[in-house]
Amino acid sequence: MKNFKILPIMLVLAVMASLTAFSQAKITVKGSDTMVILAQKWAELYMKTNPSASIQVTGGGSGIGITALINGTTDICNASRPMKQTEIEKLKARYNTLGVEIPCAKDGVTIFLNETNKVSELTLIQLSGIYAGKIRNWKEVGGNDAEIRLYGRENSSGTYTYFHDEVVKADYAANTQSLPGTAAVVNAVKKDVNGIGYGGAAYAVGVKNAKVKKDANSTAYLPTKESIGKGAYPITRFLYMYLRNRPTGETKKYIDWILSAEGQLVVTEVGYFPVK
Amino acid sequence: MKKLLAIGIFALISVYGFSQTQKPDSLKDVIEKHEGKLNALDERVLVNEADLSKLNKIKVSGYIQSQWESYGADLEKSNGYNNTFYIRRARIKFTYEALDGVKFVLQPDFSTGNLSLKDAYAVVNIPKLKNWTLWTGQMNRPDYEVEYSSSQREVLERSRVIKTIYPGEREVGVKLEYAGTKIPLKFQLMAMNGNFTGAQAKDFDSQKDIMARLVYSVKLPGAGVGIDFGPNVYYGGNLSKNNKYFKNSDGTLDSLKSVWKYLNKNWVGGEIQIFADVLGGMAIKGEYITGINSSPSSVAATSTMAQMLASPSLYNNFSGYYIYFVKNIGPKNQFVAKYDYYDPNTKLSGDAAGNNIYYKTWTLAWQYYLNDFIRISLNYEMPKNEINASNPTDKKDNTLGVRIQAKF
Repeated sequence: MKNFKILPIMLVLAVMASLTAFSQAKITVKGSDTMVILAQKWAELYMKTNPSASIQVTGGGSGIGITALINGTTDICNASRPMKQTEIEKLKARYNTLGVEIPCAKDGVTIFLNETNKVSELTLIQLSGIYAGKIRNWKEVGGNDAEIRLYGRENSSGTYTYFHDEVVKADYAANTQSLPGTAAVVNAVKKDVNGIGYGGAAYAVGVKNAKVKKDANSTAYLPTKESIGKGAYPITRFLYMYLRNRPTGETKKYIDWILSAEGQLVVTEVGYFPVK
Repeated sequence: MKKLLAIGIFALISVYGFSQTQKPDSLKDVIEKHEGKLNALDERVLVNEADLSKLNKIKVSGYIQSQWESYGADLEKSNGYNNTFYIRRARIKFTYEALDGVKFVLQPDFSTGNLSLKDAYAVVNIPKLKNWTLWTGQMNRPDYEVEYSSSQREVLERSRVIKTIYPGEREVGVKLEYAGTKIPLKFQLMAMNGNFTGAQAKDFDSQKDIMARLVYSVKLPGAGVGIDFGPNVYYGGNLSKNNKYFKNSDGTLDSLKSVWKYLNKNWVGGEIQIFADVLGGMAIKGEYITGINSSPSSVAATSTMAQMLASPSLYNNFSGYYIYFVKNIGPKNQFVAKYDYYDPNTKLSGDAAGNNIYYKTWTLAWQYYLNDFIRISLNYEMPKNEINASNPTDKKDNTLGVRIQAKF
């Protein structure tokens, strides 16, 4: 070990890089399609009152957002599911942080049915059976004698993962049609009398929301402010923002505003539920 | 000409008349016809979707590490050159997720002169035991630095102690793993052949080695700190087929009851990784391992007593550790300082140690992440060896390396 000359060179490089590393011109937000309308509304309102801020919002799905966060191509990732341990491990390996998780809204994963469907409530076990392909006919859950047509999200979607992990708990049936975005799911169910779909509460327009109950003996609930606030609706989840590091500067200001009463009012306006 | 014109007009009238005799399709017919076509298309799309969903279950990833290294004078003497370009690794990893909770992984390495199978294993979620998985095949041994992929590692090479006790990183066997979701705990238990070097297909002996690792994670989100820590243990043996004599770590000669008995190969360790968000990410990661390693005598069964006594099996009490300091500087840069120590025989030092000398190695590195796919590493490794009669000076064996890694 004769040569330590490289150490000062590296330290100089470290100082130079530190001085330039934290300048940030604009905030990029990427991820959950469920949250995209909410995130766009937040950005729009924030930029109105803070004209110097530049916030760019794109969707793509929670999985895409988390990958972008790990790859360093977004500042904020919106996710409709918590980060998986494997994703946290990737953040640790690349950035040596655990990431910062900020619950920013609540959502009830809503079960969309066609307005003509006789069925009005389903248990979690029935939903699992339907999406796992074990229950194939509406008459098995009190509806007409007709084949159930399944609509769902693509596997990059946080809602897809959340619904899989918390409700289906098995492989999705092979005949589930994967659609890009909750709006597409709602649209498909609107047109298909035998269709069923799932997605964020904010998109439920022109379809019938099924009441959901934990089991046959429980009370069935619609995803409303009250049922979600009380935690009674069985498929209630948080919507998250993730960052690589603790926010500073404009990003911190923006997040603080989102969590303020003003930012949380937007959550309600869009059709989700505030965290506080 | 008139005749030709008359024939043409007649032909046109005939065609027109014929077309007039055909009934036009009713709207219903047209809709039915198109509905049939759409249904056929729908079926084709469904078939294609089913095929595509199978393809979606296959994930292909990989990386190429192309590097240049420059060596100190003593390494130049042994290598015959003082610098070289080479491909350190060229890997493609195929992952097929057949079903929810059933995964197959195959990873060959195509680096020059080193076509080898690195990983070939299946992972199955154990039914009714949430968070428990069973792994079978050829895979990494359960150790932090071993499992930490070289595509992510902050320095070019693993620590000397890890490279010595886990050569090639992989083993063939079965592994039971618990990765808690509610409880932040990871537990790994692996039974393996125990002697895998990457070359032989089957075990050398009957005894299977056991390795266990436990990692508990503590998160302090308010402080932006996460700590992972835990113990690990290795329990195994090496068969001494032809020579019952062995030399202890302190140099004394001893004997097994007979040949065809096992030499111990046992060690324990502890690891800790601290991650902190201090003006960007920062990590301090370390592991300490100590125990007994053994190497069986290579004498032939027909050897004389004198030959057996001259080449006994060896027991070595060893210890080693490594510690990394990693600091992220913005999203693209990373500074790394690493210190590692390995003493292959803790019972002997100075001249008595002969060539079983300790090494203390400093490594300084800088990573630059050009984009999602490309990482450029500058790495300077400075080993310092124990000095004794057999090794009278600190070897000139520093290595400067520059690596470009392309990952997909």
